[in-house]
Amino acid sequence: MSDKLNLTLKIWRQASPGAAGEFKSYKLYDISTDMSFLEMLDVLNEELIQKNDEPVAFDHDCREGICGMCNLMIDGQAHGPDLETTTCQLHMRRFRNGDTIVIEPWRARAFPVLKDLIVDRSAFDRIMQAGGFVSVNTGNAPDGNAILVDKDDADQAMDAATCIGCGACVAACKNASAMLFVAAKVSQYALLPQGRPERTARVQNMVAQMDQEGFGGCTNTNECEAACPAGISVSNIARLNREYLRATLTGAK
Amino acid sequence: MIQTIRAAGSFWLLRVFGSTIGRKLVMAVTGLGLCGFLIMHLAGNLLLYVGAEEYNHYADTLHAQAILLTIAEIGLLILFVGHIVLAFTTDRENSAARPVGYAMKQTKQPPSGMAAPASSIMMATGIVVLLFLLLHLADFRFSALGIRKHDGDDHFTKAVNILRDPLSAGVYIVGSLVLGYHVLHGFQSAFQTLGFNHPKYTPIIKFLSGLFAATVALGFGSFPLWAWAIQK
Ligand code: FES
Repeated sequence: MSDKLNLTLKIWRQASPGAAGEFKSYKLYDISTDMSFLEMLDVLNEELIQKNDEPVAFDHDCREGICGMCNLMIDGQAHGPDLETTTCQLHMRRFRNGDTIVIEPWRARAFPVLKDLIVDRSAFDRIMQAGGFVSVNTGNAPDGNAILVDKDDADQAMDAATCIGCGACVAACKNASAMLFVAAKVSQYALLPQGRPERTARVQNMVAQMDQEGFGGCTNTNECEAACPAGISVSNIARLNREYLRATLTGAK
Repeated sequence: MIQTIRAAGSFWLLRVFGSTIGRKLVMAVTGLGLCGFLIMHLAGNLLLYVGAEEYNHYADTLHAQAILLTIAEIGLLILFVGHIVLAFTTDRENSAARPVGYAMKQTKQPPSGMAAPASSIMMATGIVVLLFLLLHLADFRFSALGIRKHDGDDHFTKAVNILRDPLSAGVYIVGSLVLGYHVLHGFQSAFQTLGFNHPKYTPIIKFLSGLFAATVALGFGSFPLWAWAIQK
């Protein structure tokens, strides 16, 4: 049997990118503990629409923890209080009757607020365009196992590749640094033979784009690792640093 | 293929020092250099415990090396200035990366047992260490503080007199403890920045970082207590 919660929500409302925003309070009654956090926000929006009020704009897509869209700062925690959990996987049973929940958008110069809780994360897309890919020749598909990959390397590359690009690392970092994201993306290619031919230019270009977007620098506080819903380790940042050092010292440019 | 390097700037060194990672690398290298200096400095100071004669002999021998000493001092100056200037510039840039702050912010890291983890207050501890350093240079290196001018004293007596002054004793103890907390994060963080992170040796580096921090804090912090205890 599910319990029911009465909640107070303090939500950041901002009409447009340049507009001044403010927190608004909303009361919600009889919220089932079986609901997900986003379903709770759906209930709020239904009520707002019925009252002819503007619904709260928030991002979401898959609602199963794989797309990285549901980015909310919940009570000062990226994706809420649970470890390795996205907002859409967070359940209302995590909260208590009478709680006040503060909901804010990601805060970073490189992630400007578009509306209410939605931020523009296209900075990540531009970092990926700068080098987050491997070039593959067209023609017949190569034999699947033609290139041998060390099992440990494959495992680590897979771990890095679980990054869903949600930006929680940036949101949680006191410097709004994107190092964990870039580290995961550089690592997933650097660890595999398919990524090696382009590794020098890749790390240089992705880091240059990261800096150009206005993210802060890493001070190794490890807040990103704790906040990451995909459990990306800061050991990837050490690899990024290694790759950068290697590219700097041995690269042609 | 990824072919062009998009990074701005033509000369590669300028490009590196302009990048967030490049600056971190410089922070790490200068920081480790300064850690090395701390070890040598502490080792020399520990001669205070051996005896006045040994300490004076060490100090005289050191000061007799006029040229080498000047080179070492210039080297140290470069390390300090590089580390400090970069600290202030990156700190300003990092704050600028979040123009609008959060109304509420919490950590997901397991509690460290400290009110503020060393990594989150490096700037604050760094500024305290800088003030400590300036006072320390003023009275030991330049004998600039009038009240502590001791013409004709030998090195040992001078050191004991300065350390016994209640005001400077307080500053030296607090400064040493804060310095320990600063290097607690700084030492192991430098290895991460230089790319050393591996399940095999990261735990060892973290342990050494704790050991180094305790040695620095307790080692340097013990001198004023000792000077007070030997009242002669
Ligand atoms: S909505 Fe896709 S990860 Fe949450």
